[in-house]
Amino acid sequence: MYIYDKYDQTIARERVTEFTQQVKRRLAGELSEDQFRPLRLMNGLYLQLHAYMLRVAIPYGTLSAKQLRKLADIAEKYDRGYGHFTTRQNIQYNWIKLDQVPELLAELATVEMHANQTSGNCIRNVTADQFAGVAGDEVEDPRIVSEIIRQWSTFHPEFSFLPRKFKFAVTGAPKDRAAIQYHDIGIHIVKNEAGEIGYAVYVGGGMGRTPVVAPLINAFVPKAELLSYLEACLRVYNRYGRRDNIFKARIKILVRDLGPGEYKRQVEEEWQRIRGTGIDIPPEEEARIRSFFKPPQYETIAEPVHSFVEAQAKNRSFARWVETNVHPHKVPGYGAVTISLKPIGGIPGDASTDQMRAIADLAEKYSLSELRVTHVQNLVLPNVRQADLHAVWQRLREIGFAEANIGLVTDIIACPGLDYCSLANARSIPVSQRISERFADLDKQHHIGPLQIKISGCINACGHHHAGHIGILGVDKAGQEFYQLTLGGAGDETASIGQLLGPGFSSDDVVGAIEKVIDTYLGLREKPSETFIEAYRRVGPVPFKESLYGGH
Amino acid sequence: MAVIDRNGPIANSWVHLADDAQPAKGQSVIVSFARLKNEHNSLFSASTAVGVEVVGDVVLEDLEPFLPRLGIIVVRMPNMRDGRIFSTGRLLREKYAYKGELRAIGDFIPDQARFLLRCGFDSFEVGDAFPVDSLKQAVATYSVWYQRATDRGATIIDQRTSGVS
Repeated sequence: MYIYDKYDQTIARERVTEFTQQVKRRLAGELSEDQFRPLRLMNGLYLQLHAYMLRVAIPYGTLSAKQLRKLADIAEKYDRGYGHFTTRQNIQYNWIKLDQVPELLAELATVEMHANQTSGNCIRNVTADQFAGVAGDEVEDPRIVSEIIRQWSTFHPEFSFLPRKFKFAVTGAPKDRAAIQYHDIGIHIVKNEAGEIGYAVYVGGGMGRTPVVAPLINAFVPKAELLSYLEACLRVYNRYGRRDNIFKARIKILVRDLGPGEYKRQVEEEWQRIRGTGIDIPPEEEARIRSFFKPPQYETIAEPVHSFVEAQAKNRSFARWVETNVHPHKVPGYGAVTISLKPIGGIPGDASTDQMRAIADLAEKYSLSELRVTHVQNLVLPNVRQADLHAVWQRLREIGFAEANIGLVTDIIACPGLDYCSLANARSIPVSQRISERFADLDKQHHIGPLQIKISGCINACGHHHAGHIGILGVDKAGQEFYQLTLGGAGDETASIGQLLGPGFSSDDVVGAIEKVIDTYLGLREKPSETFIEAYRRVGPVPFKESLYGGH
Repeated sequence: MAVIDRNGPIANSWVHLADDAQPAKGQSVIVSFARLKNEHNSLFSASTAVGVEVVGDVVLEDLEPFLPRLGIIVVRMPNMRDGRIFSTGRLLREKYAYKGELRAIGDFIPDQARFLLRCGFDSFEVGDAFPVDSLKQAVATYSVWYQRATDRGATIIDQRTSGVS
């Protein structure tokens, strides 16, 4: 993991001082709420329906056991004993008091954490593949470049008041687990024919009311020149992105209006001017950051690990959990465990103080003290010896986080919705809970196979419904909560936008509608290995429309 | 109105000239960009010094021919969320090598002064109620920064790689 040096520590300390002063000036009336709003948002502080919500950054989703323990302490001390892991690999606290925020930030800084730029019209927390460094298929660990971007974008003097928010995602593997094409800039680490590492840069993707899968703008930016290229991308946007209409202010609209070709030309022209002017970091700094991500000391373990094989043979529940929740590790004898924060009937992404502490203990004991947060709102223990998997599973069962449902129908993404959010039109969490209860039977879940359901409580699409195999969008219909269904979305390397099926369903009817969609799929799949998304892409929406709305 | 820099109030001889007003002899005037384009010959001969006020959507290529003769460029921030001013400052300094004074005016708050200074601005024209002490405090809060900008002082990366401690 990256460890702060004295400069990073200085910045973190000075940031706490700055925000403390800003809060004081707000409370003294020197800053109006209008003036304070952008400042508090840049610190991840939202005024929600009931209280302030604070979003703490977990850069590229990597977390130490010590940091998770601090997050648990904060949940206990400043909130109501729980936190909520988000699709941007951050954590949110929903019951925060403004006057306690400076003290809370100072505590976070003691474990090298912050809430910088987790909201506001600036460059947000960079997200990355949760299996960074442990996935066998990666070209390079995406956390190296993510940390470089984190530092470059922190309090960037030119790009802190952009037309709208700006999100980066990075994948180092051909299998895209970071949904890069749904981001303002998606970076795919690639190797060219000469074997050199560089970056394919996609610009102008996003969700919200105008979902766009980002076009490729540059197929190969050399490793040493990424920051100057990104600076050119951002400068064109900062100058020409729309500021007259908040719904048209994201970079996706600029790229669409200019056309990807013209946007690329303008970026290229600016890049040629600023290349070699000291924006890019020198190789020794890249090497310094890289050194923090070198592989830990793994043991040499021969596979098969007999105790692990036997435990699976003896215990079907364990075997099934291994099947869905343990990802292959590049080192023999290890596995990467996804801890499901989706217990049946639970709130997706929520973890209590006690659960966080128990997971921190597991990370210390079994995963070289490291954890990850996934954009699907789960946690990962990336470095577990196969021989320890059974013990990990048993402990997870005790804390209620051993559901063998990763990638299955109950591994649902849901935004906070109308239970918390002042923008929402409808509740998300109760719908997700009821779907989860309807499909609680694990045999049935495994029979259905890989299926992603994603729920947003409004058109802002924080629940990523556009990218769900089944997407659910909450709308307000004459004061009633209604839910529209979209089918066929995907957030991986085959990214596609889900298509609206037809009129929405009431809160009472929506779970039944989901069940009908799934039954229709089960009836038409050619074989059990044909997944929902594969079947949908083969047959299209018509059979689903017929089963939901009749043959009209 | 007062003019300040990072340390507080500074002397100011520049006068904003309304489009229908004529410069007094020897006056240092700031005019609109439209007027500069139309009347640059008479303005440059009549005044001691000439400056221009622009907003974020200014076409810098159009401003370029005048840059060597301008004593000041005032960039207006119509509201504090309009961040085009930061790119305008950097481009004027770094692309067009503008050497005169660069001043911000409008709806910025003290906390944005640090960024404006890093993007090539020298001074700020502010209302009487503007909290000057907060600006000085905001500018002094940070002792280090990561990224290169118009100010060419050592970044954190420079300090790391040169072994300065």
